[in-house]
Amino acid sequence: MDGTTAPEFTLPSVRGGPIALAELRAGGPAVLVFLAEECPTSTLALRRLAPLSAPLREAGVVLAAVFEDPPEIAARVARTTGFAGPTLAEPAPYDVSRAYGLQALPTTVLVDRDGEEADRRVGWDAAGLQELLTRACGTAVEVTREAPVVKPGCAAKCSYDAATIALLDGGTDELEDMFARGWTDGLPVVPPTRERVAAMLGGRDPARVLGEVPPARGVATLERVAACAVLAGCRPAYFPVVEAAVEAALDPAFNLNGQAVTTQPSGQLVVVNGPIRHALGLNGGIGALGPGTRANLTIGRALRLVVTLTGGAAPGRMDRATLGHPGKLGFCIAEDEEGSPWEPLHSERGFAPDRSVVTVIASDAPLSISDHRSTGPEELASILGWAAAATWSPNWWPLGATSVYVICPEHRALFAAAGWSKRRVREAMFAAVTRPARELRSGETTPFVLAADPDATITKWTSPEEIVVLAAGGEAGRYSALLGPCLGMEAAIVSREVVESA
Amino acid sequence: MDYVSPFDETRRAAQPLAARGRALDGATVVLLDITKRRGDQFLDRIEARLHEHGADTLREAKEIFSKPAEPELIRRIANRGDLTVEGLAD
Repeated sequence: MDGTTAPEFTLPSVRGGPIALAELRAGGPAVLVFLAEECPTSTLALRRLAPLSAPLREAGVVLAAVFEDPPEIAARVARTTGFAGPTLAEPAPYDVSRAYGLQALPTTVLVDRDGEEADRRVGWDAAGLQELLTRACGTAVEVTREAPVVKPGCAAKCSYDAATIALLDGGTDELEDMFARGWTDGLPVVPPTRERVAAMLGGRDPARVLGEVPPARGVATLERVAACAVLAGCRPAYFPVVEAAVEAALDPAFNLNGQAVTTQPSGQLVVVNGPIRHALGLNGGIGALGPGTRANLTIGRALRLVVTLTGGAAPGRMDRATLGHPGKLGFCIAEDEEGSPWEPLHSERGFAPDRSVVTVIASDAPLSISDHRSTGPEELASILGWAAAATWSPNWWPLGATSVYVICPEHRALFAAAGWSKRRVREAMFAAVTRPARELRSGETTPFVLAADPDATITKWTSPEEIVVLAAGGEAGRYSALLGPCLGMEAAIVSREVVESA
Repeated sequence: MDYVSPFDETRRAAQPLAARGRALDGATVVLLDITKRRGDQFLDRIEARLHEHGADTLREAKEIFSKPAEPELIRRIANRGDLTVEGLAD
């Protein structure tokens, strides 16, 4: 092929938009590395050539990877090999590879500034590639001589017959493919086909931008959010709630950035109020914080997948949670408004009771509080309040962050019988949980405690307003729950009304 | 199969690191305190060591450790310093 005109092409770039060969060689020679994810020699070649990308560019040479793979696969291999140059993805039936007459991968082709093919090397051939790159640059280029210095490659996908290519394009197990792409939270997902995503969008504008998702600042287009909702297992009817939850979580006041990367365990609790709870079958009754209800589990999971995938907060990578908690898979609850003697959360926050509203709260894992013995509201409020004493850290008083109480029906009934409002419950909890400063001066304690008189009375919260009271749970059993705080984030509670029409 | 990716690949591309190996002697190093507990003590020690190597130092601080630095702070650091040390502490 030496001295012949290199076939012109335009292929999708994994970083957005198409790129043409003419653009790659606009400023000088281009070196095209054709490869495929299944070929170990391709991966080896790209990993070893990756560090040369920047110096080659400084010498006016563009080093580009051209994959016989879908864009997501190409992007993943480029990422894992550290390759930062242009990365193109060629769909089946691989017309570009065929035009270049490829038989094996990797194949490295030097296209000179006149568009002529000036050199070609097949497989990994350190000496040969060094010659090719030196020729491209006009100055000496060092290619590593780490073993193996020569390695044959694999058959190019374009070299197969049409029937085999069709199998290559769709022959992998879909669910395993999702894991291979990294489109998962560790559990199997529903593959986000274009048809499923379109159904999830329900006519909404796929390009509408909800914001940038921290920490990697991935842009949350409605289409990507819908892809996450499909992956999570949502029904299309759930999508308005997912959209509102993502909008709420992206409000800067929520500080999702801090929550996404912290070593704390915190997740994002999604509370749903209003009529849409019934339309979607959201559970605020028996087992509301546990398994069993698709709407609860998948709506919470969709938000988490947006953070994890679009936002790049993969556990163990940018998500640095030391332990995390199971709610980071998905953490969504409906409030039992009909069974509650109190105004629901969204009404407390200024929304009309007949509106459907999503509220997000930065929250630790649930702690169950059993109390089958209290006979009066003061006694029960004290028991519930003292469950918070050890949250965050036993001597960290006051918390200075939100505690969420999920009050079960039997506990609610006791308060209701005494005519206690939500506000009174909160104030009684706040007043009950006090200790003298001197008992709190060890281990992880607050500057407030250290500065206080030893006999000063310290409360667990800064004010009763830091206590959120929700109504949920099954009718039998006196078990309420406490969801601990997320500290140091200044993470405000944020609500958004659900907009059901497209 | 044709799927819709949940990733924003423009934010996931590998980014080359800035060139290493600049001499410290005569360099201006910005020490960024993220305002975590005792982070200032860590930076005090680093500052002393940098002075021993002939570097000038400047101190900057984020408003809160859990939020990204404000763009104006990033611009100021980029304009005033040759190198930056950001200390994560607890």
